[in-house]
Amino acid sequence: MVEATPELLTEILGSVLQDSAFMFVEPTDEPPEWGERVFTATLAFESVKGGTLRLTMAWPVGVELAANMLGTDVSDPEAEENGRAAVSEILNVIGGAWVTRYFGTKVPSQLGLPQALLASKPATGPCTCAALVRSETGDPVLLELDMD
Amino acid sequence: MALDMLVVDDSPVTRKMVRRAIGLCGLEIGQVLEAGDGAEALSRMAEHRVDLVLADINMPVMNGMELVERMSADAELSKIPVIIVATPISEQRIERLLDIGARAYLAKPFRPEALKDLVLEILGRGESHG
Repeated sequence: MVEATPELLTEILGSVLQDSAFMFVEPTDEPPEWGERVFTATLAFESVKGGTLRLTMAWPVGVELAANMLGTDVSDPEAEENGRAAVSEILNVIGGAWVTRYFGTKVPSQLGLPQALLASKPATGPCTCAALVRSETGDPVLLELDMD
Repeated sequence: MALDMLVVDDSPVTRKMVRRAIGLCGLEIGQVLEAGDGAEALSRMAEHRVDLVLADINMPVMNGMELVERMSADAELSKIPVIIVATPISEQRIERLLDIGARAYLAKPFRPEALKDLVLEILGRGESHG
């Protein structure tokens, strides 16, 4: 089993965003400026250990994510309409990558159903490890892990 | 002959992504139907004959595992190949899916070419598709 580190979360987050939506991010230490709206999604997982992943994205990143996944433009209303679903789905893919990277593919693992919402501020909760990155437009994306 | 496909995923974004990948993969595609879970997929297939099913695993109401089991237990539906398109999963789970009747597993995110190769491989095995 590899170690749960911010670097591992950053690597998984970056590769999933790149491979799923052609989005490039880089780690940052700067305090995030979330703006007026954020997408927040949570996903429970169960394997050798259980836990929860929480993904928070500034609103423009979520809309860009949806646009890229759908093959449309950020100005397309469909991108905004599908922001929550896109963030939910990307956390699902991140969850699969996380459990197979951390626990390996030899042991059974199970993901719950991701729950996403559009909120005025990021959700808070227990966190054992986190990765904070920013998109090419400078907007923050935070992936948090809470493991039992 | 054009292939009629059924895309089963609870995420509308993923259904659209898969539809887009299908469109890009260079196959002659007929109708592409959508369902949000396994139960809805069974209803769709009761109304329309499809040649191939692309299904997620984690879905509410009826998940992909149960969908494959139901299809395998049905004389007609068991002839329709199912490709599981899902997030990375354990080897044990992949083996289980193949044991109960899924024809292949494709991890998200995937390239359209990978989907095309799988579909051609499956059809090349002599599956009925008309």
